[in-house]
Amino acid sequence: MSLKKFSELFGDLDSINSTNNKIEVLKRYFLTNEPIDNSWAIYLLTGKSNKRFISGRYLKNLFSQIYEYPQWLIDTCYLKVGDSAEVITLLLKNKTTSRNKKLSNISLNELLSKTIPELSKLNEEQKNLQIKNIWETLPEDNHLIFNKILTGTFRVGVSIGLITKSISKLINIDEEIISHRLMGNFKPSIDSYEFLINKNINLEELNSKPFPFLLANNFEDKILKHSINDFQFEWKYDGIRMQLIKRSGNVSLWTRGQELVNESFPELVEKMSYTKDNFVLDGELLVWNFKKQIAFDFSFLQKRINRKSPTRSIQIKYPIIFIAYDLLEINGRDIREIKLENRRIELEKYFSKWQNETKNNITDIFRICDLIYPKDWSDVLTFKEKSRKNNTEGLIIKNKKSPYISGRKKGIWWKYKVDPMQLDAVLIYAKAGSGRRAGLYTDYSFALWKDQELIKFASAYSGLTNNEIKELDKWIRKNTIEKFGPVRSLKPEMVFEISFEKIQISKRHKSGIAVRFPRITKWRKDKKINAADSLENAYELMKKIS
Amino acid sequence: MRTKQKDLIRYIDGSLYCELAGIWIDPSKPVKRALITHAHFDHFTFGCEEYISTIETAILLRERVGDNIKIKTFDYGEEFKINGIKISFHPSGHILGSSQVKFIFAEEKWLISGDFKLQKDETCKQYEIVKTDYLISECTFGLPIFKWDETNKIANDISKWITNSPEKTSLLFCYSLGKAQRLLNEISQTNFKGNIYSHGSIYKMNNCYKELGIDMKDTIKIENKKKIDELKGSLILLPPSLSKGSYLKNFKNIQTAFASGWMSIRALRKRSGYDKGFAISDHADWDGILEVVKKSEAKNVFFHHGDTEALSKYLVEKESINVLFFGK
Repeated sequence: MSLKKFSELFGDLDSINSTNNKIEVLKRYFLTNEPIDNSWAIYLLTGKSNKRFISGRYLKNLFSQIYEYPQWLIDTCYLKVGDSAEVITLLLKNKTTSRNKKLSNISLNELLSKTIPELSKLNEEQKNLQIKNIWETLPEDNHLIFNKILTGTFRVGVSIGLITKSISKLINIDEEIISHRLMGNFKPSIDSYEFLINKNINLEELNSKPFPFLLANNFEDKILKHSINDFQFEWKYDGIRMQLIKRSGNVSLWTRGQELVNESFPELVEKMSYTKDNFVLDGELLVWNFKKQIAFDFSFLQKRINRKSPTRSIQIKYPIIFIAYDLLEINGRDIREIKLENRRIELEKYFSKWQNETKNNITDIFRICDLIYPKDWSDVLTFKEKSRKNNTEGLIIKNKKSPYISGRKKGIWWKYKVDPMQLDAVLIYAKAGSGRRAGLYTDYSFALWKDQELIKFASAYSGLTNNEIKELDKWIRKNTIEKFGPVRSLKPEMVFEISFEKIQISKRHKSGIAVRFPRITKWRKDKKINAADSLENAYELMKKIS
Repeated sequence: MRTKQKDLIRYIDGSLYCELAGIWIDPSKPVKRALITHAHFDHFTFGCEEYISTIETAILLRERVGDNIKIKTFDYGEEFKINGIKISFHPSGHILGSSQVKFIFAEEKWLISGDFKLQKDETCKQYEIVKTDYLISECTFGLPIFKWDETNKIANDISKWITNSPEKTSLLFCYSLGKAQRLLNEISQTNFKGNIYSHGSIYKMNNCYKELGIDMKDTIKIENKKKIDELKGSLILLPPSLSKGSYLKNFKNIQTAFASGWMSIRALRKRSGYDKGFAISDHADWDGILEVVKKSEAKNVFFHHGDTEALSKYLVEKESINVLFFGK
């Protein structure tokens, strides 16, 4: 099967909006292609790996070098297109002169298991030559796919859920099973595809895999009608959601992003292997402040995430803890079907058992989450407001009678986040966006007053509607003071309400503060710039919460 | 270098102007004497005392805006004189009747390209290479990322798009004058043999093309109360202005597409809100503009419309062509 089929699939998925049609197209693709190509297709479409073989910049430089094309011209094109792989694909259309060699008809499998991996073994000169050779022998329709895979930017509007649905429909097996089969490390091979579409369900086969995660919906007012006793309340921790699995005596840590992270957190793996039972726990990994008994900021966790085999001193400096909030499997028995309130009883029972049986105290690295007991719904609000003080994001509300099922299902869990902090700030810079927002000014920087000066304090990209983006883009073009490459400095005139989750001191920024998840929540056309907030207001905000 | 006061053609308030002849080219405000390069509305303004155009442009304009305008017409290649300046129209290949305009005064030749394309289009005269000293060219698609596919490849893609979804009604949005007729002509040569409907505004222009001797496939004028079953598997040509708003509620189970050069860029395709985009344009692509610049043998070139900076810089750096800029 040729790569062309996959390029067509990409084109179809890219231009279809209806979910049902996407499923039909995927089913047709799976039915008409080889298992090994299907396996790679799933691997790419689910974004299991977006390894970058070369950077977009490298790709552009290479094109410029090979075809003696001015770099500035490629950069100008990039501003219009917003994606290096696509720019080069479009420019290659202009290079038909060298198209006299025989076109190669390789398969997706060949491209991904041979052609591209072999590229990374070559030295720079050979690599460049080889890429040129591929460009000139690969049929034009496949250039975009090739360039995108090469630069690790292959993305199309397909979720893992959609793939799950398509396969489920293809073989008439429940989505839950397919979703479970897709969990964990998916290694593209004939076997992994055959396993995925196997019509016989063998539960043993899933032994090495985490369960599909249950996700919370946003809080809905309608739950206020129910008795408060129908729900279980927990703090919403801002850590890494994880399943802590011990099966056949082996401990594994799986993140929600389906990465196995045992190597990053060896102390947890070791401690948990002392317990006698086998289990699957759902919970949150945090860096813990043992003095205050609250979580440290997410930035502490970042010191641990990408570090494999952390040294003893790192482990002491950033002590982790796993807070379990659910028990999904115990000694081989899948208990996801039983009610949450009963699972909680089991969780508590086993926690105290483990505490007693291990010689080393496990509570310095493993705990179960504390429950909160609000008296009524207004009391829930009071708790929610406390969450800034204990470094949580708000509350999680869980239906006590609910089973543990996969995905973001209605009526099971809700997240009730603390209201964001807000400041009104002045727009001072804009930068052209990329990808879908190419050619529009969509990356904004905002400033607060310090005496008579506007000091940049945050950048934000999201929050405006498409129409607002277009309107603002027009305004930006008319009110530019100066251009520096893709960035424009603007006449200070527009005020926006910026919302964010955290605020803290930062030496890296001129303003002296850093905020987390800044986003635009309102275009304050009613406000003049002198009514925008000052840095002083920001400092006060910081004092109030700590 | 900027245009000088003595230049034959200057750029004033966003329009080209020949002072010696007292002629504005495609003015955006009412003037005494307006030369119209083609019958698209963004090149026409009401209220001028007198219009000058090709015969085809005049007929199309009258069909669109009524008989109540005074137009003086000339054939392609027919030379006329105003205040001693020799002026002539030459085919620009953009749409039926579209023209380049040549001005000659005191041995100096100036050529205004008008909107033009070099690609195949059986519904209008092919672009004519005209030699000149000064060239004023459009550059709507003046970046090398624009490289048009062969027209029949796009037509086949459209045909496939319709026939792959026989249960659906395929709505193809395109400019009602020029693009619609070109697409109609091309699609009728593909494997798609189903019914083709056109919106009233397009239907009117199709008839006009026929009267002007262009071979056009018959289409059915779309009525609001068409039965949905009847439309299944057929193609409907509609102007882009109807893509937003309630008009689409007249149809059920549709797929939509837009035919425009901008659709070659994924981000624009995604933002456009249509299901699909077909990159077909009645303007020249990058190579097309370069070809015209070279073949015109112009010593001096001006650009307007689009990314003029990149193309200008490229010509100066790589081709050593003298590019001039209009003074504001």
